Amino acid sequence: MTQNCPTRTLLAETLQQELPLRQATHPHLDCEVTFRYGGFVGSVIECHAELPRAMDHARSHIARIEGESGSVPNGMVILADTMSRSKGRFTRSWHAPAGGVWGCLVHANTLLDLSKRFVPLAVGVACCEAVHAVGGDKATLRWVNDVLFGEKKVAGFLVEGFSGPRYSDEYHMVGFGINVNNRTFPEELSGSATSLVHELGREFDLTRFTTLFLAKLAWNFGLLYYEEATYLENGSYSGQDGMHQLLANWRNLSDTIGQRVVFGFDVMTSPQYEATVIGVDPDGGLRLRFDDGAVVVEHSGEIRYR
Amino acid sequence: MSSKIDFDEILGKYKSDPYNYVDVLAVHTGRVEFKVVDGDDVQAPSGEWQQIPGTRLYEINRERNPKLISAQINGTVMDIRTELDGQFVEAGEKLMTIRHPLKKKEIIEAILKEVLYLFPAPETAKYFFALDIQSRIEKKGAREITIDNGDEILTMSLMKRDTPVYYKGERGVIHSVYFKPGVSVPQGEPLIGVCAPDKLPLIQKIITRVKADWDAE
Repeated sequence: MTQNCPTRTLLAETLQQELPLRQATHPHLDCEVTFRYGGFVGSVIECHAELPRAMDHARSHIARIEGESGSVPNGMVILADTMSRSKGRFTRSWHAPAGGVWGCLVHANTLLDLSKRFVPLAVGVACCEAVHAVGGDKATLRWVNDVLFGEKKVAGFLVEGFSGPRYSDEYHMVGFGINVNNRTFPEELSGSATSLVHELGREFDLTRFTTLFLAKLAWNFGLLYYEEATYLENGSYSGQDGMHQLLANWRNLSDTIGQRVVFGFDVMTSPQYEATVIGVDPDGGLRLRFDDGAVVVEHSGEIRYR
Repeated sequence: MSSKIDFDEILGKYKSDPYNYVDVLAVHTGRVEFKVVDGDDVQAPSGEWQQIPGTRLYEINRERNPKLISAQINGTVMDIRTELDGQFVEAGEKLMTIRHPLKKKEIIEAILKEVLYLFPAPETAKYFFALDIQSRIEKKGAREITIDNGDEILTMSLMKRDTPVYYKGERGVIHSVYFKPGVSVPQGEPLIGVCAPDKLPLIQKIITRVKADWDAE
């Protein structure tokens, strides 16, 4: 018996509720078209009581399906109540006990390079929006896609590319870990991690929260395709001053701009320098100013606030 | 990779003209205004993080959106197209050339790039070796690592999206590594130079010969 088990029916109902909300906040977009673009999210939802790691499970699944000359459903979501070998970037561990949302989305990539770079933003924005929707309106995004309460991380994401072993189709494994009802953390994470139950003082229906997150994910992935089509047609995006709408939404949820930060490709083990964030470029690059006034733009790496 | 290399011809070429000529092109359409003249010495970006821009070469203005373009390499300005100053140009129009004086190390690298198989960056991003390759490099050194067509050798990292990069090319050892972890590599620039194992002595001979010839100067 799994604790976290969203269904296609539940997701469809939630998407119906999302449409008028998006129409109210994005009157300049064709929201029905955007949701149709993102309709692949949750095309299949697999729920497990326990998995070692969802992304490894997804890779094995793709290899098996392709080995049988089959086609992997785009938008497949793999969830597990607990994961025993979950990990963050590089060699970092990720604690995934009962009570959290742990899993991955299999995205069969058909985006152009100019849109692919926004995939990590899409999953971060989706999660932050879901957290806001359940009352966590103090949650913010830290570049690229960490969701924080204050300086503590409530959710983290990994996007890994993968080529199908037989047909070489390109996939994104969009891994997500959201601390919802889990209350305790290993000692090494206790100062830097938090959960919704801890921040908001109540437990959540895990299945409903995950469904809401998937609905937000459908909108944000839909935006990637909608904005790509808009750009190809008009030479600019739909946001103010031609900004990518997803990036505009990211900026509204983020408190990164203006922060004094430490930057590093792997900032935990190899911090490189300290600077002040002065903006985010149209392609998502982080614009940083050194104390001597020089400016750099980083497209890869991570930051920690000072 | 040819095993017959005319050392005298290659070395003669670099001795008679030890420069690299880098064309500076318009980054996009717009009206250009030059900031340098023929014969000016220009500097490359500097600072620990390359955060100090190079010498300003020209300003390009499109729809009241001016952009200053700086030198990416040090050298001397030549063949500047003065007739284009203040004019509207198309993207990719050649504006000037920078004559960059080559150091011995750069000459060796340039010769090696002619004889190694160069595996290019698929996208402008940061790269690091795949964990398996990295651990083998740490144990034995890159030149002991043989890679084959289809091997996962690198991870490309862009905006926290990590994508495995599979080697496409002839079997060989990783002779030269052109990227640094944490430093962005432009699309198309070489990431590694690969050499067939039986050609390694030849490569070593090239390096020794260049060092000897230049030291003898």
